[in-house]
Amino acid sequence: MSSRSLPAESRSREGAYAPSTTRAPLTWRMRKYLGYVFIAPWLIAFLAFDIVPTLSAFYYSFTDWNVIAKSSNWVGVDNYQRMFSGDRLFWPSVKNTLYYTAFAVPLGVVAGFLLALLLNTKVRFQGLFRTLFYLPAVVPTVAATMVWLWIFDTRRGILNWALGTVGMDPIRWLTSPDYSKPALILMSLWSIGGGMVIYLAGLQNIPQDLYEAADVDGASSLSKLFNITIPLMTPTIFFNLLLGLIGSFQVFNAAFIMTAGGPVNSTRFYMLHLYEKAFQDSQMGYACAMAVMLFLTVLLITVFVNWSSKRWVFYG
Amino acid sequence: MSKHRSRQHARSFQPTRRQVLQGAGGLAAMAALGSPATHRAMAQDSAVAVDFWNWWDVGRQPLMDSIIAGFQEEFPDITVNNVPQTWDRRDEVVTTALAGGDPPEIIMASRQEIVKFADSGALAPITQFVKDAGIDPEAYYPSEINSMWWKDELYALPMPTAGGETGLYFYNTTLFEEAGLDAEAPPETWDELDAAAEKLTKRTSDGALEQVGANLFVSNLVFLAQLYTNNGTFLSDDLKTVTFNSDQGVETLQWLLDFSTKHHGGHQNYLDWVATINTGEDPFHQQRLGIQFQNVSQFFHLKNKAPDVKYSVHFRPYNSNNPDAASHGVAAMSFGWGYVIPSSLDPAVQEAAFKFVQRITWDEEGAATFMLEQERPSPLIAFNENPAYTELNPHWDKVLTALENDISIGIVPVQGEMFTTLKDYVDLVAFEEMSPKDGLDAAAEEAQGILDDYWSSQS
Repeated sequence: MSSRSLPAESRSREGAYAPSTTRAPLTWRMRKYLGYVFIAPWLIAFLAFDIVPTLSAFYYSFTDWNVIAKSSNWVGVDNYQRMFSGDRLFWPSVKNTLYYTAFAVPLGVVAGFLLALLLNTKVRFQGLFRTLFYLPAVVPTVAATMVWLWIFDTRRGILNWALGTVGMDPIRWLTSPDYSKPALILMSLWSIGGGMVIYLAGLQNIPQDLYEAADVDGASSLSKLFNITIPLMTPTIFFNLLLGLIGSFQVFNAAFIMTAGGPVNSTRFYMLHLYEKAFQDSQMGYACAMAVMLFLTVLLITVFVNWSSKRWVFYG
Repeated sequence: MSKHRSRQHARSFQPTRRQVLQGAGGLAAMAALGSPATHRAMAQDSAVAVDFWNWWDVGRQPLMDSIIAGFQEEFPDITVNNVPQTWDRRDEVVTTALAGGDPPEIIMASRQEIVKFADSGALAPITQFVKDAGIDPEAYYPSEINSMWWKDELYALPMPTAGGETGLYFYNTTLFEEAGLDAEAPPETWDELDAAAEKLTKRTSDGALEQVGANLFVSNLVFLAQLYTNNGTFLSDDLKTVTFNSDQGVETLQWLLDFSTKHHGGHQNYLDWVATINTGEDPFHQQRLGIQFQNVSQFFHLKNKAPDVKYSVHFRPYNSNNPDAASHGVAAMSFGWGYVIPSSLDPAVQEAAFKFVQRITWDEEGAATFMLEQERPSPLIAFNENPAYTELNPHWDKVLTALENDISIGIVPVQGEMFTTLKDYVDLVAFEEMSPKDGLDAAAEEAQGILDDYWSSQS
């Protein structure tokens, strides 16, 4: 018996430890809180850097907080009113973000899933291929953006060169308001490697005996895909869909670096607009109101997707 | 067996109350150690550390380091940490530094930022420091020092010039000769520029730009620079009325649009060509641009990056059809730097920081050297009379004339926001979604609203 453990006779009927003459061991009540002590570093950081700023943003969204002047006056719902009726660029930024979300998220989910299916087949150099496809996901966005600037270059870009080989005219990917958003959506596929890894993990959790039973029944590959793989992958698809939605509403880096919101505000996404209001115009109160609106929108969409998941996600 | 033993050991570990309290105390102590108060307390000693945030690129850092070394020999109690910054997210970095309460001691700030931050109370006025140091503000070009004042207080000293940003253009004499143009008689008017651009521009068979005659295109900053060569203005003298949508404004924007359509084949065609600059190339260095509207830093860059390019400089062309128009540069429209000291610092630290600001903006060992080595002018009139300049830079007489001709425009704290508004509408004009008149009227109405809001908040 360890020197720290207590003899049975020293316990009371309620199970609490009796006082000891040497070191006072923890009571059950205190042991209950011991876990909090261990998670305290994380908890303190979470409170300080997540909860407090989030709650502060709610408060400051009702003020005209100028972060440099360190002044804030209560303005009620003025910031919210301004958002809907006084800010010429608010609705275009919402529209651009929804457009991006509507295309980038389904495309990312489908492309990531298809890629995972391909890389789940037993081929030579399977590990190498998986690594290669995952690599872009760990390349810093800024570096990737510089590569994509070259890919999209109207005159010297590899994309237009490829289109030219099949007789297509060059496209002004980044300098035309019509193509700038599709270009950034296309670029979003660059990082599907992250989702792909999650899909791969999901695919490997599907019991093989289901496929063997289907083989015995003479099921085709397509039939196995639609009747076994996809239904059993719906929890993973759901997870990636949620992540994709949350991420797409916060799309920022590519537009910030590559197009600065242009041409003609065609890539002015919500987060970019928010950022400019906060840091270029020093209107932190208004930016907080935009952040709160984004938070509520994403929350609402997440709740909706979560609710809808009961109809299409199978936990088998 | 070993697993079993380790589980037993885990079960047997029962920390005492004292140990738990000790652990919590340790965490609290770790949190306290991270407090910025300890950092700030260091400034209480007689030795002062000054973090100098600047955006001078790698090419200029050895020069700056040598100035700092000289300064520290003279002031051993002041340690200047040269902290060059990247341009990425500059607004965010500066704003959070000032707002966070632990800013660097000196920040290199643009003319618009100086006024904006000063108006917010984030900067320490240096009027008294300047007076105590015996610095005469009138020794600077008025177009340089004027925009450093806000509400009767001086907040920064300039270096380098904001003048020379727009008053001059560089032209490639080799390309001029190849195009049959007289390199000794560069364009002086809009019409002459139009004719020169016609000859200098080259396109491929599919219409893509191969060589651009002049890098004038439809953008808010180009428009504003050209506006002043057509006797137009951005704001009224009292800074309360937007004036850029005047007849001169509409005429200027229409001229730019026509120029772009005629010589570049439209705005998008020009942007495609500009995309090559995004990859770090300068088309003037590559001899693919005949006339470049560029600031005086180009002297330094040409010397270091493209020494084989044969070039000369001349004054920004004006609209000769307007009898009141003349060639002007506009100081403080964009760029142009000053050095500011945050108001949140201890007065003793501010004083130490000012000593270094003085070194790079007033003292010959710093301010003059840094500019001379780059062959670009100083904001201090007297330094530019140094005969060494004429030997180093054969275009010196034109540089000085441009500085004298520069117009200093007033700045308001909401200038950046007004510029953004103007940019949005000028972009719509560039993409031919609005006419120049409609675009400028809409921009002026919105910018006036921003301006009115600002002034009403002041009253």
